[in-house]
This record gives sequence, C-alpha cells and structure tokens, in this order.
Amino acid sequence: MPPEYDLFAFRLGSITAPAGCGKTQIIADTLNRHVGSKPVLILTHTNAGVTALRQRMQRGNVPASAYRITTLDGFAMRLVSTFPQRSGISAETLELRTPATDYPAIRLAAFTLVQAGHVSDALASTYAHLIVDEYQDCNLVQHALVTAISSVLPTCVLGDPMQAIFGFGGNQLVDWNVHVLQQFPSIGELNQPWRWINAGTPNLGQWLLDCRRRLYAGGNVDLRQIPEEVIWIPIQDETADRQRLAAALTRPVTPNGQVLVIGDSRNPRGRRQMASQTPGATTVEPADLADLTSFGRTFDLQTPNAVAVLVNFAAETMTQVGATTLLPRIHSLQRGTARTPPTPAEATMVEFANTPTFLLAAEALRALTRQDNARVYRPELLYCCLRALQIASAGNYTFPEATVRERERNRHESRQINRRAIGSTLLLKGLEAEVAVVPNPETMDARHLYVALTRGSSRLVICSSTPELIPQ
Amino acid sequence: MVRIRKVEILNFRSIRSLIWRPSSGLNCLVGPGDSAKTTILDAIDLCLGARRTTAFSDTDFFNLDVNQSIQITLILGQLPDSLKDLDNYGIYLQAFDLNTGVLQDEPAQGFDTVLCLRLMVGSDLEPNWSLVSQRAQALGHERNIAWKDRLLVAPARLGTYANSNLSWTRGSILNRLCEERPNLGAELASSAREARTAFGNQASAQLTETLQIVTQQATSLGVPVGAQAQALLDIHAVSISEGAISLHNESGIPLRSLGTGSSRLLVAGLQRVAAQKASIALVDEVEYGLEPHRLIRLLDSLGAKENPPPLQVFLTTHSPVAVRELRGDQIFVVRKQQDGSHHIHMVGVEDDIQSTIRLDPEAFLARSVIVCEGASEVGLIRGLDQYWVDQNYRSLLAAGTAYVNVGGGEPDRCFIRGLAMLRLGYRVLVLVDADKPPTQAVVNSYTAAGGQLITWRPTRALEDELFLSLSDTGVDSMLQLALEFVDRELIAAQISSQSQGRITLDDIYHQRQLQQSYTLEMRQLLGLVSRHRKNGWFKSLSKFEVLAKSVVGPNMQTAEPGFIALVNELFRWAHAS
Repeated sequence: MPPEYDLFAFRLGSITAPAGCGKTQIIADTLNRHVGSKPVLILTHTNAGVTALRQRMQRGNVPASAYRITTLDGFAMRLVSTFPQRSGISAETLELRTPATDYPAIRLAAFTLVQAGHVSDALASTYAHLIVDEYQDCNLVQHALVTAISSVLPTCVLGDPMQAIFGFGGNQLVDWNVHVLQQFPSIGELNQPWRWINAGTPNLGQWLLDCRRRLYAGGNVDLRQIPEEVIWIPIQDETADRQRLAAALTRPVTPNGQVLVIGDSRNPRGRRQMASQTPGATTVEPADLADLTSFGRTFDLQTPNAVAVLVNFAAETMTQVGATTLLPRIHSLQRGTARTPPTPAEATMVEFANTPTFLLAAEALRALTRQDNARVYRPELLYCCLRALQIASAGNYTFPEATVRERERNRHESRQINRRAIGSTLLLKGLEAEVAVVPNPETMDARHLYVALTRGSSRLVICSSTPELIPQ
Repeated sequence: MVRIRKVEILNFRSIRSLIWRPSSGLNCLVGPGDSAKTTILDAIDLCLGARRTTAFSDTDFFNLDVNQSIQITLILGQLPDSLKDLDNYGIYLQAFDLNTGVLQDEPAQGFDTVLCLRLMVGSDLEPNWSLVSQRAQALGHERNIAWKDRLLVAPARLGTYANSNLSWTRGSILNRLCEERPNLGAELASSAREARTAFGNQASAQLTETLQIVTQQATSLGVPVGAQAQALLDIHAVSISEGAISLHNESGIPLRSLGTGSSRLLVAGLQRVAAQKASIALVDEVEYGLEPHRLIRLLDSLGAKENPPPLQVFLTTHSPVAVRELRGDQIFVVRKQQDGSHHIHMVGVEDDIQSTIRLDPEAFLARSVIVCEGASEVGLIRGLDQYWVDQNYRSLLAAGTAYVNVGGGEPDRCFIRGLAMLRLGYRVLVLVDADKPPTQAVVNSYTAAGGQLITWRPTRALEDELFLSLSDTGVDSMLQLALEFVDRELIAAQISSQSQGRITLDDIYHQRQLQQSYTLEMRQLLGLVSRHRKNGWFKSLSKFEVLAKSVVGPNMQTAEPGFIALVNELFRWAHAS
C-alpha cells in the first residue's frame, strides 16, 4: 500500500503522529518503496524502540538492505568513537563510566563533528535518507545533531508533541513549534486511529483523538460522555485502595489478552505494592535496572550482613518473604535454638549464611520462589540477578560488574511484558495492550494522561473521584 | 571514481623501497631497461586486483631475502560510495591532502577521504590484504576490502595479450560495460543437452566390439547396465563456463584472432567506456603491436588529452612516439638511487622540458644525455659514432646515451636544459661552443648539480676547432666536402669578402698545390667563413654527420692532440654509463 504521506517528497520535513495512527506503518511503507543501493538511516531513542521498529520492518517484509536502525545515542557514540580525534572525545568518556555526564558529552561531540563537516562525505556516501522516530523525545543537543546531519542527508522526523514526557532532570526536550517545525516543516498530521480501527473499536480511537485535541488546547477530559469501551470507576475515599486493586484485576477481553496498569510514575513503591497485591501481575522495570545495580554494589559476600541484604532483595521481588520474620529465623537456625525444623528454603538460606558463595545465594533465591503461594512479581529484576550471580560465580567478573553486564544485555533484549503488567507512562510508552487501566489519573499532566489513555486498544478503565480529569 | 593517491613498495622484486604520488590521470613510466617499471605495475595489480588466489615465490622478494616482508601499500582516494560506508569502513577512513601528500588518520572537511590498503607477504609466502589506519591498529581491528567492493576498485590490466578481455571471463572488461550478463546456467546447459542428443549414438556404432565386451562382462558379474552399454557424449565434458562466450565478428571469426595491436586498441577503447566502473588501467609496453598512428589513437582512447582525465592509467613504454604524444606531467622517470631505493620524478611541464619531449623524446628513454648546442654538434656526434661503429667499436647509442638538440641561441639554454635533465636523474653532458661565453652563474648551478661540460678551446666554435685542429689533409677534405654542399662561386666570394681580398680560394688551392701547409690565418679564415650565419657550409645535422663520418673520423689520429683529447673525453663519458 502506498503510504499516506511521502516522507521523502521534501528534503526536510516532519510528520505529527498521534498515538496509534500508523506512524511505524508509514515508515515501513516508505521503506518498501525505497530504491537505490544506499540504505535509509532510522534513528530512535531506546534499544527497545530499535527492537520494536526492526520487528515491524521484518513483519512488513521490508528488505534488510533498505534500512539501518539504531538509537540516537548509539549512533552518536559510534560516530565519535570512529573519529575520536576529530570529535575531541577522550577514551575515558567512551567507556561510559559516568553515563550521566558521558552521554551528554558524546552527543555534543557528535554534533560538533558533524557540524564541522568532517564526516559529511562519509555520511552522504553511506545513507540515502534519515528518518528520526519519536522526535518529541529529542533533547536540544540531539536536535542540533539531527539538524546538522540534515544538511547532508534528506531528513524526515516523526513524533507527537503530546507524547513528550521525558523532559525531566535537566533534559530539555525540543519544543515542537519552536524547534521542530522551524527546521523540519510539517508534511502532515496522521489522523486515522489505526490501532483502534484494527481492534474493532473505532469509536474509542476517535474519542482519544478528541481527548488529544482537548488536552493539547489545555482542556480536560470529560468522563460523562464516553464510548462504551471506556469504563469510569468513581473512586470513593473510604474504598479507594480496594477499588483501584479491583480495577487492576480487570479481565482481558479475549482469553490471552494483555492488561497494562499505568500507575503513578513518581511512586514506584506504590506500583510495586500494587503488583504484589494483584494476583498474576508483575512490574515493568526501568531499562537502567537501578535496583539490580544497587544490589550489585551492596551485596558483598565478605560482609556479615550479606544474608540481610539478600533477604531484603528477595522480599522486594516476590511474595511470601518477610524480612522481619525470616532474618531472626535464620539466626536461630544457625545457633541451633530453633524449635521447628527449617523449611527447604530456610535450609538453603542457612547454608548460604554459613558458606556465602554466589551459587548458594542463587540457590537460596530459587528456593524462596518455590515456597507455598510464592509469586515473583518483579521477574525481570530477579532473573537478571540470578544470571548476574551465575556470571560472578564463574570468577571473571566481580558481582557489581556482572550486574552491569546483565543490565546491558537486557537492554538489547526485546521486552517481554507479562499478561498483566504494572508500570508507568514512562515505562510503558510505546507499548500497547488490549486493556489499559489508569488507577491514578489525577497525578498526571496532560501529556502523561494522553500517553496513559492511549495504551489500550479494546478497553480503558479509569479510576477517578471526579467526572472530569483535570491535568496537573 | 577511485584513484591511487600514493604508492609505497618495500622489498618487492627489484625494488627495495619506493614512495610515489602518481597523478590522477595518465602516468607514463619511462626509464632505462630493468628500472622496475613493470614491477611497479605488478605491485599495483597484486595489491588492488580482484584475484581469489595469488602465488608468491622467493623470487618475489628483494634480493631473495624472504625475512624482509613484501609490503605494498596504496592510498586510495576519490572512493566510490560503498567504500566510504561508515558502518563497514568507518575506522579505516582517513584524510589525504592532495597538495602536501600528508595523510591524516581521520577524514576532514575539504580533504579527500581515503582508504589505505596494504598487501603483505611474509616468509610463509601467504599474501595478506588489509586496510590500515592508526586507530584501527590501536583497537586491534583488521579487515580487508569486501569482495564486492574490491571488484569496484580492481584495475583493468591491458597486458601483452588482451584476449581475456574479448570473452566474458571473470574480470573481463566486457562485464564492466553495463549490467547485462549472459544467462549462462540455463542456456548453456540446455545447449549441452542438445549437443548430446545431436551427437546421439554415433560413437556406439564405431565402438560396437568394445561395448560388446563391456556388456558381456557386466552381465556376467551382475553389474546392471541394461541390455546394452552405450557410448554417449558425457554432458560434463561439454565445458560450461563464462569464458565460453566470446566476441566474434560478422562472419563468426573470434575477435581474439585479431592482430595484437587491434585487440589491444579495441580493449583500451572499451576500457574508456567502462571508466566509471573500472577507473584504473594498467598497460604494459603501450606501443606493443601498434604502428605509430594507432599508438597515438590508443593513448587518446586512454584519455591522454582529456581534462579532467577519465581514467587513472599506469603505463610503461620504450617508445619515443608515445613520449612525444604526452605532456611532461604525464611522464615519470623511474630511477634506482645509489642507496638502492627507487625514485620516480615527474618530467614536468616547463617550456624547456616540454620542447625536449617534442623534439628529442629519445632522450627520456636513455641513461645519459648529451645536450648539444645545435644541429652541428648532434651531427658531429652521430657521424663520429657511425665512423667508429664501422671500425667495430660499440655505438654510444647502445651504451644508453642519447642527445638533445637545444637548437642554437644563447649558450645558457644548454645549461638550463641540462640542469632540468639532471634533476630527473639523467647523466648529463653539455657540449657547447666557446665563441659566446655563457653566464657563469648558470654554468655554476649546472655543474653544482653534477653536470659535465665539454667546450672547445677559448673563443672557438665547432668549425673553428675543426679547421684549426685537423691535419692539412683533413682540412683539404673539409674544403672538398664543402664544395659538394655549397657553390664554388659562393665559397670563393665568402673567402674574399671575409678577408677583404687578402686571401682568395685560389690562393688557398695554389698554396696546397705547392705542398705548403695551411697558414694559421687561412685556418682561422676558413673556420670563420664556414660557419657563416646564413650560408654556413655544414650547418645541418645531416651535413655535419657526413663531415664527421667521412672527414673528422678518418683524420682524427693525425689531428692536433688538444682536440683529440676533447673528443676522447666526450666519447669516454658517453660510454661510461
């Protein structure tokens, strides 16, 4: 099918793409019509995004020779490490020991390198066009880099200012009107809600586009006029927690359908608690797996509190583990003062306490998961940890190194999201499910709210004490 | 498309070391035999060619020393896009400054983006091609050019025989003209099957008895061959290869049976058409098999006269016709230095040099060059050389000596041209008259550069020297010869008017009839008159040649010792190279 808009009709251009309106499809369709020996360079932000785009291209039978996909940071990193002298970047920066300062330095160096024209010849020789996806997530330096590349390569950027939710912590994002449209004039705006049309819920799709318009204009979302696919749960103060937990248990529409619960992005502890209390639910972990690497730094076999650190980690990832009862129990078992014999899980814990090794730590964690009614609600964290313990036990890496390696490996895995997953807008953006549950919409601003509302294709459950959602 | 920016050769055959920045157009390599011209072509071909296998042997190493690795490094510029692919070749891309020849390890705005390709052969004789850059080395990365990209940069070699380019063999120029390819598999296979059918059972009829024995034995041993074994054409015996399809003329005669010259000419023309895809050509002995006019045609089709040059061509020649056709910036002199390294000098396009290319192209093909002031000196040397060859001495031409005719004018011009030739690495001797003194500074810079100089005794021109130095019989013969070239009346008038009537031609004859020697005044007078600016007696190359061969040579032994010494010095120098 020919694409709705020709992304290469103009030397520079942009497409505004509301959620679920076929942005990825238009990229695939465009690439399918791409002829010529040089590939199109496609840049996006996250490794998960790269994986998702690549899968869509493969499903759309786009020949692999027609494109090369990578992340903006990955591309910047490769440019500067290929031409370290011209970019003036140090080998130390390229090692990414302090990502918080190294990544900005690499982006800036890549911009300077391209801007100076040193790689213009090679860029023009290598790629035919540049497409940047999720452009609203670009910060100003990334925007400058793309702008510099666009003087060499015809460039089209796609994105949605209403989904720009990553502008925090000093990361200033592009302003769609001020920066993007100035550099990349609008080619058009996608307006067919394909995700909902394909799911047989076109009314929901239209309602969401309507919500987007209202939110964009600074308005509210009125829950009194909603299509049948949207369920409003009016929250009462005294039953609020129970109502939200019940909402999180909303059944999928089809037997194998997926349910996403989009919780408060500023309250990870609350989301974890909800996951621990919702049968069948697991959390979605951030890509940096900070809880894993921090465990990696604190879990030291040589220190006497290794058992406590391990037990606390277990308590954070699965049910049926209570640190306050398990730790004294282990001590009494060690001293031989316990009256009841140890359970298998307690026995492996004691074994670990007596001879602390990485293999026994992993064994103890596994034993805990086998306890009656135990349920792992942070599987990504736990299984990455088990693999890190395995790596560390082989002896080539320290445990902190092993957790970092495991995080990096995991970054490039395609994300496996559980049938019932609890996350936040920041963690679930770009993902879609059959059912979306929004338990705390009152904490969200217009963009977060729009991202949250657009995650479900067949059903949307909103918990709110008021009939109007007023963005923060 | 792709151009070789720099060539570096170490320990390859006769070359211990060579560093050369060729031009991006035509590079005609000249130099005395064995100066390693063909070795340079081979080095480029081996490093850049698209060959699956290459066999090296001990004789490919300099001085047969296999412990010193062969190393051929080419810097390739003006790269096709696929060789500048960031993902494939990023850390090998470098910048080359065309003005200074300086290589920078990373590409830079305004500079040519280049790759550095190196062929190494060690004592195991295994060739290893790799791209080289400092940062790739630092990272321990190594890779070769991908095969498909190698095909893009592979040079086309126009060897002595061009036949392989007249059929669709692998690497043939025919495959680079356009995207068309013969559909070999299906068509040839079915032709082979048809041949088998057409051939049929003919052989069986001729081999009845043999087949009978085979069938009997097979049957008795229980080997299944059916009722009767047959003799058929083996389908595998019908060769099916790309090279099976070749060019034929209208009457079906293969073009490979054209004369050497014609096929080379045709292939060179095709090369020109394919310049976009095969932009580097290597041509051995460009003149081979070609008449001068077709040689010129061949050079033209290689783009010798085009700007910008369509191809980068490396060719060798021993032909003055080829040299004469080229500009000084297309001719490169290959020299082996005292220290054993090779150097390549561009001849250059200064006026003096360019006119030497036009008038005396042979000079560039020699080892030693005698720069002559005018045609007379050239005639003298040639005539004397011919005389000595008749006396069974070795010709100075055989010793690799040629001469350049400056064509008169100021004597300084001889030294200026001599200096230009010296700088190209030639042995140079200037032969100049002594009647007009040259500028001392010009002579000094010439001799400082190692130039040799022979001139006649003070104030004397060549004719003065001859009339003053030869015996009386010699001078008789000179007069005799002059009368063959010039009217007697004119000579008589010249003598009378020059001496203001004091001496006449008849006086001279009279004196000689009385067996009396020429007086000094007579000798001086004859010298002066004979080199009259407008009506000189011997003033042409061929007349002086006759004079030298028939008069000077035979009378050399009886000549004045000072003159003999000068001539000996000249010929000793010419034979010393």
